[in-house]
Amino acid sequence: MSLLAELQRSFCDALRTAEAPDGALLEMLQDDDLALQRFQVYRNNFIVLNGDALADMFPVVKRLVGAEAFRVLATAYVRQHPPRDRTLLLYGDLFADFLQAIPELSELPYLSDVARLEFAWTAAYHAADALPLQPDQLQNLSEEAFAGLQLRLHPSLQLLASDFPIHRIWSLNQSDDQDELISLDEGACRLIVVRPDNEVQVRVVAEGEFEFVKRLLASATIGEAFEVASQMDPQFELGQFFSRHLFDGTFCAM
Amino acid sequence: METIHKSGRKPTPVPIRAGAGLKPQHYQSVIEDQPDIGWFEIHPENYMGRGGPPLRYLEKIRQDYPISLHSVGTSLGSHLPLDRQHLQQLKSLVDRFEPGLVSEHLSWSHGYEWYTHDLMPLVYTEESLQVMVEHIDQVQEHLQRQILIENPSSYLQFKASEMPEQVFYVEAAKRSGAGLLVDVNNVFVSCTNHGWNIDDYLSEIPISLVGEIHLSGHSVQQVEGRTLRIDDHGSPVCSEVWSLYQQFISQFGLAPTLIEWDSNIPEFPQLLEEVSAAQCLIDGVAETEVRNVVTG
Repeated sequence: MSLLAELQRSFCDALRTAEAPDGALLEMLQDDDLALQRFQVYRNNFIVLNGDALADMFPVVKRLVGAEAFRVLATAYVRQHPPRDRTLLLYGDLFADFLQAIPELSELPYLSDVARLEFAWTAAYHAADALPLQPDQLQNLSEEAFAGLQLRLHPSLQLLASDFPIHRIWSLNQSDDQDELISLDEGACRLIVVRPDNEVQVRVVAEGEFEFVKRLLASATIGEAFEVASQMDPQFELGQFFSRHLFDGTFCAM
Repeated sequence: METIHKSGRKPTPVPIRAGAGLKPQHYQSVIEDQPDIGWFEIHPENYMGRGGPPLRYLEKIRQDYPISLHSVGTSLGSHLPLDRQHLQQLKSLVDRFEPGLVSEHLSWSHGYEWYTHDLMPLVYTEESLQVMVEHIDQVQEHLQRQILIENPSSYLQFKASEMPEQVFYVEAAKRSGAGLLVDVNNVFVSCTNHGWNIDDYLSEIPISLVGEIHLSGHSVQQVEGRTLRIDDHGSPVCSEVWSLYQQFISQFGLAPTLIEWDSNIPEFPQLLEEVSAAQCLIDGVAETEVRNVVTG
């Protein structure tokens, strides 16, 4: 192996671990009695810079566990899952699963779903843009033809279901100054996250709407999706849903 | 008549004025207040999403200002090959935003299949130099334009290094045809961290290759009774670096100068103050140059 490759690999090994760097690496550094401390600057920068990216991505998780605990979690995550991408825009895709696997966090059972919501928000923010579906694209369709349509959902759209009231937890924790109590008895919620234009929307939806959109995402026709959705949720009103969302950017041009 | 590209924009060179790093926190201020700033610089990696508001803000700001792309993800000094997909994304941004300048670092961030996202130090050997030059060539070939290379801030040195940083730095540019982005703060930080002579460092730099200058703040740490300066871009430019900058532009000449502020990001007016301070020094030197020409 070339010197450059050998050196870069041992440097990377030492960046990732919490242990003292390998003697062979320190041996390669000019020694003025500060070699270890000098190396620590790089290790610290690596942890802090990528940890800060997680803190930007998951501000509510940070608020829920506290800044100090978040720093510990972020450091462990950076070591376990260093960035695989050239950009940090979507760094933290495994953070929710990572949190879920930590026994000490079991008292906050909703935490990983809150992380999923925060990640979905940022994913929607950076998702591809698309032109909204326009009324003239559906003109002169018979009822039958309309039911047979496969609508295209906006590329930013994501579905999220949780056993916990994560929407309330997430929205009340957007700033530090909230002191309202949220009861976990408020129960499950279903969310649609979408950025039709410039603003990311997080919509709380009923079971029927959730199921309807889920089927459409899986390429069902309007008719097929409605059949499943209305069986699961007899309250689901297709007309009402379409009057709100057919042309608001939830669906994109065909 | 001036050429108008199909994007409806003139290709705009970055002027010899002070500019600022563009931060998302300041998008609104820039768009609404149209501050009198020469240009803005961005990290292209922050605009490599598929779509969304950042690209829209940048489109808007690009209509009113020249921009520079300062890449942090190419990993020019890595023993691993460059990432073609990343290069392609960089090219798309260059085509779309027509930056006046494009730059990267004398550094690496890719040692395995993952990325450090922080700029790691190179061992200054002939082997590393060849890797650097080959990678700069590939980027310039792909982008079909010259890029500038920035000197790093560093905290340690490798025993195996065969030449001083400044020799390696200038040689990499000369062999590849790249230009230099001289970060005056990094010169100060590295020289003081390693006990190098600043004048020796700067005297290696051929002014004809300098296409841009960076200024930023750094933090100071005491480690076992010794001072280590850490380049964190999180505070105003310190007085020593201002003096060094003034000395540099008086001796060597002017170049577009950027204020970088990437952590503890201030309100926009404070960033503007730093930009104005750099602009004052540029104006002072420009005035002297004019006087010298007139009286010379």
